[in-house]
Amino acid sequence: MVGCLLHRSPPMYTLLDMNPPVQTAKEEEINVTSCLVQKLQGLNMAAEISTKEQLLSVLDDLEVLSRELIEMLALARGQKLPQPGEDTQILELLVQRDREFQELMEVAQQQGKVHQEMQLLEKEVEKRDSDIQQLQKQLKEAEHLLATAVYQAKEKLKSIDRARKGSISSEEIIKYAHRISASNAVCAPLNWVPGDPRRPYPTDLEMRSGMLGHMANLPTNGMNGHLPGDALAAGRLPDVLTPHYPWQSSDVSVGMLPPQHGNDFGLEPPGHNKENEDDVEAMSTDSSSSSSDSD
Amino acid sequence: MAVAQAKLEKGGEDYSLLPLVHDIIKCMDKDSQDIHQELPKLKTKIQEAREQISNMPGIDSSPLAQQQQLATLREQVRTKNQLLQKYKSLCMFDAPKA
Repeated sequence: MVGCLLHRSPPMYTLLDMNPPVQTAKEEEINVTSCLVQKLQGLNMAAEISTKEQLLSVLDDLEVLSRELIEMLALARGQKLPQPGEDTQILELLVQRDREFQELMEVAQQQGKVHQEMQLLEKEVEKRDSDIQQLQKQLKEAEHLLATAVYQAKEKLKSIDRARKGSISSEEIIKYAHRISASNAVCAPLNWVPGDPRRPYPTDLEMRSGMLGHMANLPTNGMNGHLPGDALAAGRLPDVLTPHYPWQSSDVSVGMLPPQHGNDFGLEPPGHNKENEDDVEAMSTDSSSSSSDSD
Repeated sequence: MAVAQAKLEKGGEDYSLLPLVHDIIKCMDKDSQDIHQELPKLKTKIQEAREQISNMPGIDSSPLAQQQQLATLREQVRTKNQLLQKYKSLCMFDAPKA
């Protein structure tokens, strides 16, 4: 319906050609008029159509109506025939479409202003977006830092709880410190010189009874069955490997061991002194003793 | 674009084709030879109007749709402003008051 005028619109170079139309019939003008009327009714319903399309459409109508009016007048002048009513109708349509065109142009101007405002708002939105992104980035960094701090604090709390559960009295620690310091296990005697057989180091049994020894024993329990400590506990160590050091009394050797160590092995104080020292010597003969045990 | 905008601001009568049509009809009535000058004027006027319409900004949508877009943009700006204000006024670390 709307396109009927557009299809009939000639190119611009022929639009205003002043040669009188040879076969311009009346029915053609009637068709043009009816199409325009229908189009005017349809325009009111087409609120979704863009202003540009409406403007171009109205301009096309103006073009066609102008041509029709001029052609009609030229034909009437050439044939000397009166055209009652039709020219008036086309003229009214022309005036109406011209008014619509001007109204649409005003609307277009308003839309241009609105468009400028929209562009400003779009810039504002972009700026706000960048601000929000920057803020989110900072919040993410703060969250990361806080999460790390919370994790470390929890780990510390766990350590504190573990320490509280396995607390040892200070008296016991002092006692043990006295014991290990009395046996020269952590500190050499004041008059110690190279060659002095008194040991400035912990014995093998002491090492085994400690945490490091337990850690080392865990994966190699099968092999530790041949260790001299066990051999000593079983009383199978030869007498050759059990030297006796005269500078060590039995009291001192008992004191060298941690309290639970003596209980674990069930050693008697006199024998324990020997075995303890045997372990020191047996450190280098571990492989030989284990091989003999395997036999 | 600037020329089109400037022409737009002159007024609505600049876009009326009726004066030109009227001149043409008068020339026809008078059998004047000026009609050969008036007809190209009308043709040129229509062509200029087409070009200006093509260059006018913001008319690719209907006024209603454009108003909806404008309202959407305003709402976006308002929402983002509120969000930013909320972030800035957010007290992340409430220190206990002694």
